[in-house]
Amino acid sequence: MKHWLLLLCLVVFCVPAVAGERLYIYNWTEYMPDEVLAEFQEETGIKVIYATYDSNESMYAKVKLTRGKGYDVVFPSTYFVHKMRKEGLLSPIDHDALTNFKHLDPALMDQPYDPGNTYSIPYVWGSTALAYNKDHVAPEMMTSWKDLWRPEFKNRLVMNDDLREVLGIGLIVNGFSVNETDPEHIETAYESIRKLMPNIRVFSGDSPKQPLLNLEAFAGMVWNGEAYMAAREFPAIQYAYPEEGAIFWVDSMVIPTGAENKKQAHAFIDFILKPEIAFQVCEYIGYAPANRTAIELMPEEMKNNPTIFPSAREVKKGEFQTDVGDAILVYERFWERLKTGM
Amino acid sequence: MNERQGFKFIAVFLNMAWFALFVLIPGLMVAGISFMTRDTGRFFSLPFTLAHYRELLDPVYARVLAQSLIYSLNTTILCLMISYPFAWILSRGPRHRRALLLMMVIIPFWTSSLIRTYALVILMKANGIINTLLIGTGIISDPLTLLYTDFAVYVGLVYTLLPFMILPLYAVMEKMDPRLMEAARDLGANGFDVFFRVVLPLSLPGVMAGCIMVFLPAMGLFYVPDLLGGAKTMLMGNFIKNQFLTAMNWPFGSAASVFLLLLMGVMILIYFIVSRHFNRYETL
Amino acid sequence: MTRWLKISWTTAVFAFLYGPLLVLMVFSFNHARYTTSWQGFSLKWYKSLVDNPQLLDAFVNSLTVALVSSLIATALGTLGAFAVSRYRFAGRKLFFGLVYSVMMSPDIVMGVSLLMLFVTAGLTPGFLTLLAAHVTFCLPFVIVMVHARISGFDPAVVDAARDLGAREQDVFFKIIFPMILPAVLAGWLLSFTLSLDDVIISFFVTGPGFEILPLKIYSMVKLGVTPEVNALCTVLFMLTLAAVCAAHILTKEIKK
Repeated sequence: MKHWLLLLCLVVFCVPAVAGERLYIYNWTEYMPDEVLAEFQEETGIKVIYATYDSNESMYAKVKLTRGKGYDVVFPSTYFVHKMRKEGLLSPIDHDALTNFKHLDPALMDQPYDPGNTYSIPYVWGSTALAYNKDHVAPEMMTSWKDLWRPEFKNRLVMNDDLREVLGIGLIVNGFSVNETDPEHIETAYESIRKLMPNIRVFSGDSPKQPLLNLEAFAGMVWNGEAYMAAREFPAIQYAYPEEGAIFWVDSMVIPTGAENKKQAHAFIDFILKPEIAFQVCEYIGYAPANRTAIELMPEEMKNNPTIFPSAREVKKGEFQTDVGDAILVYERFWERLKTGM
Repeated sequence: MNERQGFKFIAVFLNMAWFALFVLIPGLMVAGISFMTRDTGRFFSLPFTLAHYRELLDPVYARVLAQSLIYSLNTTILCLMISYPFAWILSRGPRHRRALLLMMVIIPFWTSSLIRTYALVILMKANGIINTLLIGTGIISDPLTLLYTDFAVYVGLVYTLLPFMILPLYAVMEKMDPRLMEAARDLGANGFDVFFRVVLPLSLPGVMAGCIMVFLPAMGLFYVPDLLGGAKTMLMGNFIKNQFLTAMNWPFGSAASVFLLLLMGVMILIYFIVSRHFNRYETL
Repeated sequence: MTRWLKISWTTAVFAFLYGPLLVLMVFSFNHARYTTSWQGFSLKWYKSLVDNPQLLDAFVNSLTVALVSSLIATALGTLGAFAVSRYRFAGRKLFFGLVYSVMMSPDIVMGVSLLMLFVTAGLTPGFLTLLAAHVTFCLPFVIVMVHARISGFDPAVVDAARDLGAREQDVFFKIIFPMILPAVLAGWLLSFTLSLDDVIISFFVTGPGFEILPLKIYSMVKLGVTPEVNALCTVLFMLTLAAVCAAHILTKEIKK
């Protein structure tokens, strides 16, 4: 009986070795259409194994636990690129291997979080603003972040499960920057959000649009792509930029240090940089591509869709997220207090 | 005699080694790390400190603990109230039907609790079955708020853990000799006395076993509050998961885990005392 | 009156236990996507299950882990039950204690403790770590089930065999094993099912690239996408049903 077991184990362990090239991708949920992955597999013959996460923090924890091995392409937000770069968790990306590098928008390149884009290639950029169900909420009620505090929204809001963004709203309504590092300012933000808690029905990082579609929530703070995807299914869902300005961010593709399929990872990134592919991605998930050429391929209604492409004025009003260094511990402490009901 | 020793050695050694490696050592690690300091680089580091245990008593976190204890306690009580009569009816039923009914209890016990929790989500969504039926038949006009509430979490916990209470109760009650109750009645006891002085004491070991099997898991089941609970339902399971996989504070998570283990120890101790005390009446 | 009360209580509890599951299964055949309307009988969600390669991968992975871990747990556990019931050895009480403590332990503590072990030992979470974890939590169930069965035996039979010169392995394989076979098989079935359904422990110890079904269902449920999840759950429930029936038949063998 023991021999049989041994044989079984051998068979099971040998199977992966026989398989062809593979690529392990770790991405946000609902951030890449299945068709794109299928096309990539068909074109290159590389098998894609796709896993998802719902927050930067859980992605970071998993990458750390596996010591940067196991995942070949990951999609952190700006300040996490910065953090992971500093901790040596990322491997440099060879720009020469990327034939479609030229399509990238120079405005998004060479930012302080990754000078020269040695470690990251921008994927999409987007905003975090207000979403609401116009069957239940009048548009006039959703013009400012402060509207979230309205008593009519008791137990009717959905929010992202992101500590920077939720506390960020608290910072904005108090006139501070979303990249605040002063602990006293962060505490003021915390106090404001504490008063918002009775209105919040649920925090969702995987799918903030679900509670809106399910009619559990009538409004909330979501990412623009979520609102775009929700509106496709349920046209009553609207996206609005608050008058104080929205929060903006960029998500990039990185290759962790221990990645075992770096060549395939580069092939994948190059594939995503193809204008037709970037266009497909945007059409499906509703986030603006970092790919300038892709925009030229878009039909007029898409180019003018304010959910995907905010006007220059909106971008100026809003603020891009950057790293806050050690102040993140302050954010974390207050976030925990919020989550535990204090 | 030598092969006896050899075979015995392999059988014993393999098992002891497995438990030592995968149960004892990790358990000791949890205890050990709970005294270490948080380190975002290497997960934990010296110096030794009691800070995390003190943090557990901090109002912010003590609140999570207290909330979890209350949820678990209420869940246990609810399960007990539902299961006790049910197990009794089952164990007193006709023999041939008992096997079938028992199997019908075991099926949900063996079914993935995730699937069963998901079934509850479908029922309780604002556009789910319950609301669709109630609105369709005109009983209400606005959907009830069922999902993402404390109520939903309770339903989820009770639903998941009910079979864990039924089975130990049934096991104990089935073994109860009906002659004991007959004898009590012959001696003039009324139904009330028969229950409180014969049945209940005999069933106590089963009650304790069921309580342990419901109370402890209820504290650690993080996916029930995750899927059914709202923004403010954070129970111990979610808390510990958070410390390990998001906040990266291993020592703190370990301290909370040690607390759970101590709780388990206390409950098992009570179980032993109770069953030893009442075992005297078992064999007559 | 009491009879009526008994029937209604029993029915109510069974309705509570099975109601949600039945609803889930019924709506896996609904042509419409949302449960607000019934649009006719359809197998389209089952078809999309088969067309979903990631799901199939997760299913195969789960089956593999369940199969291998349940076999190891059954083999190891049977030996363990045998050793514990027949031999006196140092640490026997400790062993019993560990077995029961694993059974009673909240999954989350097991999950984090194993995670700590693996990370500190420098192992990458993946198939092997998952396997080890699954064997660990299945082992006590096998040991307890088999031990219960062995204890019910007349030691005279075994002594007679040894008096006649049987070797220890023969005593085990040729006498005891056939007698405890139903308990061993039931233990194997339980291990297989526990492994297939485990969420909490697997959540902590699985690694990139080795997606297992319960975790896949977990993320699908959080996304709340399509009744594909319903179809998947129905399939899994049917498997569980089959397993319980099989175990039931086996335990009837024990009674014979």
